[in-house]
Amino acid sequence: MPMLRGFLILVLFFLLGEAMRVLFLLPVSGGVLGMIFMTLSLMLRGRVSEDLATASQALISVLVLLIMPGVVGVFFMASQFSGQWLAVAVALLLGTFLSVLTTLLIMKGMLRLSSRGRSND
Amino acid sequence: MTELASRFIAIPDVLSTSPVLAIGLTLSAFFVGNWLFARLGKPLWMPPVLLSAVILSAVIAVLSIDYVRYQEGALWITVLLGPATVALGIPLYQQIHHIRAMWLPIVVTLPLAATMAAVYAVVIAWAMGATPEVLASLAPKSVTAPIAIGITEQLGGSVALMMGGLLITGVVATLFVDLLARWLPVEDERILGFALGLNGHAIGTARAFEISHTAGAFSSLGMGLTGVFTALILPLVFRL
Repeated sequence: MPMLRGFLILVLFFLLGEAMRVLFLLPVSGGVLGMIFMTLSLMLRGRVSEDLATASQALISVLVLLIMPGVVGVFFMASQFSGQWLAVAVALLLGTFLSVLTTLLIMKGMLRLSSRGRSND
Repeated sequence: MTELASRFIAIPDVLSTSPVLAIGLTLSAFFVGNWLFARLGKPLWMPPVLLSAVILSAVIAVLSIDYVRYQEGALWITVLLGPATVALGIPLYQQIHHIRAMWLPIVVTLPLAATMAAVYAVVIAWAMGATPEVLASLAPKSVTAPIAIGITEQLGGSVALMMGGLLITGVVATLFVDLLARWLPVEDERILGFALGLNGHAIGTARAFEISHTAGAFSSLGMGLTGVFTALILPLVFRL
């Protein structure tokens, strides 16, 4: 029962997110809006209920299961982009390598900068 | 006897009219994939998502189950992605003190890194002669699936190709974060988590929760912010 009660809260926040998306023609998905609302409401409330903690842990632990059917689609994709596979592959591999490197370097640099700034204060 | 044989062959086709077959196959592949992953010594280059998806695809192909019908059945599983995304708000809240302490690096890194994640891929593909449709499908490659679908449709790309790019990006981003973390080196779980979510969306976030709760929360944050930022910026940039 606690799991189902928590799940209901998650579903309600998701529906709220979807409703806001439709109402204000937002380009962001209902799930992400729901996640933002969830974080904000928890900040206001100041604690996480047992129900919500149980349900969220259960769902997060099977995140991989939930994305699997989408991943399967790749293997059944029609060969409508033949001749461009090399461009796609290089763009994905090299592009992702560069963007991961960029993220880590900026984040590392910024963290060092902000900690130095604090120690100078 | 031949009648019995032909009925036997028709079993997968008849059973696939109910979503229960798709759910059963997906769950089985999930457990087999996880078991195999542990048996192989948890290789970084072959995450459980990919392992399970390869097994699942092979089974679907061997049983010659209609792919579209499988996806209809699997909707019972994929709809949970919505509430699961909302659930990411809970670790996010629990780690809010870490995030508050790091708001400046996050605010500076996010727009730059999220933009570059799209720009690198689009520029490389463009230089190699990819069509505008392919470019539009690659642009949201670091964005979580439900948002990326909306972006691709808006830009005029192919959702199937985008999903493929999303998977590959998620897997290789996880790999590169692990690799570069050792090479640079970066040991801060908060940075690793943020980089995983920003570049590798849900696949990166699943990996981040394996590292620690803190890494998972930062990954959820990175994924959410990248999704929102990219969804707002990309349609504007592509119009130019």
